[in-house]
Amino acid sequence: MVCVLLIAERSGRADHAHVARDDRAGLAASLSLVAARFDTMLYGGDYEGVVPALRWTHDRFAVGATAPLYRIEENGLQVLGAGDATIDGQVTIVHDEMFAAGATLALSAPTGDHKFGLGMGHPMVMPAVWGAMVHDRHAVVAALGYSVGFADAAHHHDDMMWPLVDPMNASELTWSARGDLAVARAWRLGAQLAGGVPVDASGVTRVIAGARAVWISQRVQTGLELQAGLAGDPFTLRAVAQTTVAF
Amino acid sequence: MRVLITTLLLVQLAGCGGTDAIPTATGTTCASPDPMTFGYTAADTPGCTGTPDQCNFGKTFMDAYCINCHASEIPLSKRNGAPLYHDFDTLLGVMEVVGHIDEQAGFGPNAQNEFMPGDGTGGKCPSVAGGSLDSSCPAISADERTNLAQWLACEKDRPHSF
Repeated sequence: MVCVLLIAERSGRADHAHVARDDRAGLAASLSLVAARFDTMLYGGDYEGVVPALRWTHDRFAVGATAPLYRIEENGLQVLGAGDATIDGQVTIVHDEMFAAGATLALSAPTGDHKFGLGMGHPMVMPAVWGAMVHDRHAVVAALGYSVGFADAAHHHDDMMWPLVDPMNASELTWSARGDLAVARAWRLGAQLAGGVPVDASGVTRVIAGARAVWISQRVQTGLELQAGLAGDPFTLRAVAQTTVAF
Repeated sequence: MRVLITTLLLVQLAGCGGTDAIPTATGTTCASPDPMTFGYTAADTPGCTGTPDQCNFGKTFMDAYCINCHASEIPLSKRNGAPLYHDFDTLLGVMEVVGHIDEQAGFGPNAQNEFMPGDGTGGKCPSVAGGSLDSSCPAISADERTNLAQWLACEKDRPHSF
């Protein structure tokens, strides 16, 4: 069995894209708490978020959903509201004791108010492929994806990334590389680099780095990740605390 | 589990506040040749053919409805959400984001935008520059919003010295 706990670049979507196959079927629920400061060309402020998520896994397939809520302060204005809800499906295509690879397809709905920086303002479709390798106490995961807006994306935020919470380009290539090390029976330490490269010339290249610690018990996994925006001003600093319970 | 899913859906719906309107370009076009009916100020609009109120429309509108948040001297923390570099205390500032103003505040054949001022801050506006959202936003008539879009459509194509 290969099981890698990761906290994704996008807040609260810990399981999206990169949890390698777990032979057990079942349901898992997670709750992420997000806090960040941002300082973009047009906006400065901070936000906090609560991101509940559900995930159901069966054999090589998994589906999940998230429904975030945020409080954001942007240029002195405080707003409370939903973010963009997402659903995603994942299939593990190849799998053995050390290696797993698969594909995901995530969709987001514009439930967040884009005028306040809480949502994209249009649906997004986000397919990706991933590979994971586990050896001894080490695990590495890499992913490559493509995200694009559809439906009414014509009004999209000029050449900015949007929304202020979880910013991305209207169309971009996404990438991530993550590593974990089991330092004790119940503890893992990890790090990641992730980002997006705009498909359109007018977009913004984004790079973030993160370091995390994860505590694992039989049914509960709790992680804390600190992230820094290295390029593109996705945020200055962000913290994501996540607890996942398997039923 | 059914209770959990229902709760999540209710929480999600409860958070869907604000206006659903999407900022949309009004599609307003300037007649050719430019009738020169509306200006920023009479001094800034040589050849203006309108009444004094019309020739001073742009600055009058911005001063009355916008610059308590959208002004270059107001710091980030006191802008009530107004983006940086969206400063309407000068004609140059207006022209730099002329499309955004049309999309958020103008009335025209393709859209009637009321996000600014009003909907974007829950109907509240500051009574003084850089102040808190302590009073109801002034009512702006449909005619004023239509005139705004018409002025912007013409002003953006006029020669400027900046």
